[in-house]
Amino acid sequence: MIPDPLDALRIPSVPVEPRPAFADSLWRRIAGEEATVAQSATVRYFVGDLDQAIAFYRDRLGFEKELHPSPTFAMLYRGDLRLLLSVPGEPHALPDGTLPEPGGWNRISLRVSDLHSTVAALRAEGVTLRREIATGVAVDTALVADPSGNLVELFEPRAGYHERTTTKE
Amino acid sequence: MSKSSVRYIVDDVDAAIEFYCGPLDFELQMHPDPAFAMLTRGDLRLVLVSPVGPEHPGGGSRPMPDGTKQQPGGWNRIMLQVADLEAVVEELRPQEVRFRNEITTGVGTKQILVQDPAGNVVELFEPIRREARLNG
Repeated sequence: MIPDPLDALRIPSVPVEPRPAFADSLWRRIAGEEATVAQSATVRYFVGDLDQAIAFYRDRLGFEKELHPSPTFAMLYRGDLRLLLSVPGEPHALPDGTLPEPGGWNRISLRVSDLHSTVAALRAEGVTLRREIATGVAVDTALVADPSGNLVELFEPRAGYHERTTTKE
Repeated sequence: MSKSSVRYIVDDVDAAIEFYCGPLDFELQMHPDPAFAMLTRGDLRLVLVSPVGPEHPGGGSRPMPDGTKQQPGGWNRIMLQVADLEAVVEELRPQEVRFRNEITTGVGTKQILVQDPAGNVVELFEPIRREARLNG
């Protein structure tokens, strides 16, 4: 069968599958009940191409897309981390007109169970490795760049790695 | 257990600890080295590091293979929800910190961009509608 050349232009329909916690909160909001305050750690990254960024974080780093309500904003989750992706624009301009931009050295740090295999897989997929695996005191780390040049740190705990399991009141 | 980690590069770890553990309510977890500290606030774990040399045992803030040093700054940032934005801003003003803008009011939140002593930006927001708390 000859493929329809117009297929390339058609927008694929994406099923909406909100996380259960989000659906629950939304339902309670609709019902007029007090919504629970999300305690997720939230980080905002600026990106040049939103669709590329969504694909990168979803397909390469295991994020889930939660919201993509406009061409300049998306909300992603990976575990308890909420990552907001914003395209620089007027709402983000400083009073003097300065616009934010991607880049810099501050970064989210994602725990992986096998850093070597993760890095090898990302490299095979053509992801830019900003720095090879470095051995630290309690973790091994590697730095990759998203398509806009924002850094993402990947880490694997070493012997002696300590993480608090409970939060003090 | 499943804390989310963010690493910020600062030039002075002690000054940064003072900033984040003040009105921003972070809790110091460890500060085992002059170039490293770990703070927490809710589910967020903030790792503060100052740039170190290539031989330093801490791996996170060493230079890149080409010698490029890591630096504070940029626009990517953590976002912190506060209960009373004006009060927090008033508490911060006397400190050696700068704001990149003034409080702006959006549809569901009021927010402001504050810089830590090293020049890293932190977005503070206060929900002004119940719905806004869902999305932060």
